[in-house]
Amino acid sequence: MLFPTVEYALFFLAVLAIAWSLYRFKTTHKLFLLLASYVFYGLWNWSYLPLLIGISLFSGLVAQRIQKSQSSGARKSWLVAGAIVCLATLGYYKYTSFLMTAMLQVWSRFGTPPHVEVYSPLLPLGVSFFVFHAISLLGDCYRNKVKEPVKIADALLYVAFFPQLIAGPILRASRFLPQLAIRRNPNALRINRAFLLIVGGLFKKVIVSNMLATRLVEPVFAVPQSYGGWDTLLAVYGYAAQIYCDFSGYTDIAIGCALLLGYRFPRNFNAPYTAADPQEFWRRWHISLSTWLRDYLYFPLGGSRKGSLRTYLNLMITMLLGGLWHGAAWTFVAWGGLHGGYLVVHRLWSRIGWGPLLRWRGTTAWKWTARILLFHAVCLGWVFFRSSTFEIAFEVLGRLGVPGAATLATGPVALVLFLGLAGQWTPARWRNGFEVEMGRWPALARGAAVAVAIAAIEMLGPTGVAPFIYFQF
Amino acid sequence: MLKISHSIRQLSLVVAGFVVVSLLLESDGLAHWADGLEPGALRTVAVPATQAVQRTLAPLGVGAMREGVLKNLARVGWSDDEALLAEVASEAAKGQKAPENPGCATTSAAAQGPAGLGASGLAGTAAVGGMTSAVGTAGAPNLPAGTRSGGAPAAGADAPLASDVPRTLALAPLPPVEPGRARVVALAGDSMMAVGLSATLMRQAAGDKNLRIVKAFKSGTGLARPEVYNWMDEYPAMLGTEKPDVVIVAIGANDGQGFVVNHKVLAYGTDAWRQVYQDRLASFLAMVSAGGARVVWVALPPMRVAVYDDKIAAINRMAYTVVSQSPQAMWWNPVALVGDEHGKFREFETEPNGQAMRVRATDGIHLSDEGAGKLTALLMKWLDPPPAAPPPAKTGPVNVAAIAPQASQPAARRKRHSHKAAKGQAAKD
Repeated sequence: MLFPTVEYALFFLAVLAIAWSLYRFKTTHKLFLLLASYVFYGLWNWSYLPLLIGISLFSGLVAQRIQKSQSSGARKSWLVAGAIVCLATLGYYKYTSFLMTAMLQVWSRFGTPPHVEVYSPLLPLGVSFFVFHAISLLGDCYRNKVKEPVKIADALLYVAFFPQLIAGPILRASRFLPQLAIRRNPNALRINRAFLLIVGGLFKKVIVSNMLATRLVEPVFAVPQSYGGWDTLLAVYGYAAQIYCDFSGYTDIAIGCALLLGYRFPRNFNAPYTAADPQEFWRRWHISLSTWLRDYLYFPLGGSRKGSLRTYLNLMITMLLGGLWHGAAWTFVAWGGLHGGYLVVHRLWSRIGWGPLLRWRGTTAWKWTARILLFHAVCLGWVFFRSSTFEIAFEVLGRLGVPGAATLATGPVALVLFLGLAGQWTPARWRNGFEVEMGRWPALARGAAVAVAIAAIEMLGPTGVAPFIYFQF
Repeated sequence: MLKISHSIRQLSLVVAGFVVVSLLLESDGLAHWADGLEPGALRTVAVPATQAVQRTLAPLGVGAMREGVLKNLARVGWSDDEALLAEVASEAAKGQKAPENPGCATTSAAAQGPAGLGASGLAGTAAVGGMTSAVGTAGAPNLPAGTRSGGAPAAGADAPLASDVPRTLALAPLPPVEPGRARVVALAGDSMMAVGLSATLMRQAAGDKNLRIVKAFKSGTGLARPEVYNWMDEYPAMLGTEKPDVVIVAIGANDGQGFVVNHKVLAYGTDAWRQVYQDRLASFLAMVSAGGARVVWVALPPMRVAVYDDKIAAINRMAYTVVSQSPQAMWWNPVALVGDEHGKFREFETEPNGQAMRVRATDGIHLSDEGAGKLTALLMKWLDPPPAAPPPAKTGPVNVAAIAPQASQPAARRKRHSHKAAKGQAAKD
């Protein structure tokens, strides 16, 4: 079930009604949500449900062992063993064929490698996300961030909770498990915020992302040779807007649905293209992944505590693996490498203490220059992220210098491109103000307004709904 | 100070308001959604329920307003519905005002198939109803009413099912490209064309002045469910004014599902299902080959999941049954290029240097770019042969196919396989 479908709307309305009718019975309520999550996942592919249950059950049991272990050595052993099993599962499903082909590639440089049947298991939907949830559970228990003893049912629901199951946001066990420990409060619902997030998310996904994908990005990235510089540049900007609207749209809907069920998810995007440096960008883009990588990879590697060179190395390792997490392809590794490079260059740049430069960095002109530079650096990364091969990526980059008219820049495309990028500059107070303003309306009128908005989105959106980009990860 | 937190009572009221207004605004869309569901429990419940809501709310005229808005969106270039765009363009050309109720609209010239097989169609229930009746009632007595495409059955609609499909990569040569006029090649189909194949072919043809590629594919579509996506409307609209010399078709990956004809559920794979599907294949083939276009029907490759592979194999047999009856169409089966030595699914191919090349996408369904490249290399040689093509190197099926055989060869093969098909069918009967 994709979020922007009638099937999901019916499923969610049924779950919402039943879940709130059970809120007084905490355990039953949670078990119902768990069942609903399994139904949600099973409707994609029942055959992978045992894997989801297995990983979450395993992580719950190991988390309990970590909590019960007295010695730090035993705790660490359980953590390492648990993380290895989780990562091995992810590796098996996601990277088997990638590693085998890479090995054959390297081998063929020194001679003809033996004949090997390359094997690639079918990728279970959302495996990257639910494995990261499982590891977060282990990590948070190891660091004593989960205060209460982990209950297996809670661990199962934490990993499988349907709004975040397929494409995040990646919840922290330490923040979500406490929500499961208390009864839902039927008088503390952020209804208006939830519906604004859902409507906004649908707008971003159904209209902006889908239209940019079909009318601008896909044609150019499929056959870059057919387009000149202006079309190519617009397609690169278009992909920047598309992937932001696609992914942030998904997480907005997920956060809104969870809010209606009485649960709080962390914010996953915060106007990332307004960032003026790479560090700020990663504090605004896919926040739940970047903080996960920071806490469970960058910090354990030593973070910035072991000198400059080691810091740069840690940044590169973190971003390269972050790139690989997105997909088993060298283009994703290149994307991660570019961002690692940006972070290293920014660190070096920040260390320059020359007076005039420091003063210039404080000016508004520099801030805007930095924003524009960073945006284009991010767009360069998106070219590799979007392209299926390096040949296509370099062809796209090469076409930027080829003269040619902007044939794809129709009025609707230009409008949604503008909305997709400029929408990030709307002040948060507008959204907050609108939420408060909606509070003045009668409840029925609010529901009617949401229905009108969703009907308008449905009419304005292209025919058909493309899967969310992050589903493939 | 206004509250930002609310109670479940408030939530219930908001949801109630949402549901009521959604039903009011989207009753047509919901009925269309229910109609497009695969036959099963959900559809059994959803169709009568949504139709009852639709009937009840129809007098309010919201559906007509909605269609009016959609038409206006098409007029300003917002819509991507090819059939609707063609209809609006046609109306604009005629200087006619759009009808109030598109469900009663007459079929626009642009939306009609070249062979007159098309029917008017918006993506709404009224249009779906129009389409269903337009796809006909006359025809073979065995067919359920409401399945025929116009009057007489198209060629191949009633042919006995082939027991197997040939693995041929041979294509009868095309007439030379006329100087100063590019050969127009339409790429038609579902995601089997859209993913990998089309992009690879278009990239290879990008610098070729002798070829002009027309995109006529749409992912997530097929021929089994015209109420969901009606190729008889959409294909002519996708072509616009283009008149292809060659049409390359790859379609059918989504068609392994049951459908409903005249309120009767036809389960996938039954004889009744096959008759209707074969009829739709024949109508589609007649449409794409109208105007003299040569049609290359690309057989669907073997699939990774066994159950799905069986369905695709059956769809290939039906497609071949129809294609083999058409003098303009050629069956082209790339299994030798992307399958293993037994014609089964293969994800990676070992290259001469020992490296592994992915020939199929990770989903086990579509072709990878590299896999598609193996097909398009041959197709490009056929579409625009080099001026002094070397004689065929007889080292394997790929090279044999690279140079087109005698024009009579496919026909001979067709006959032979038709004979086999007839025998197979007789044995089955």
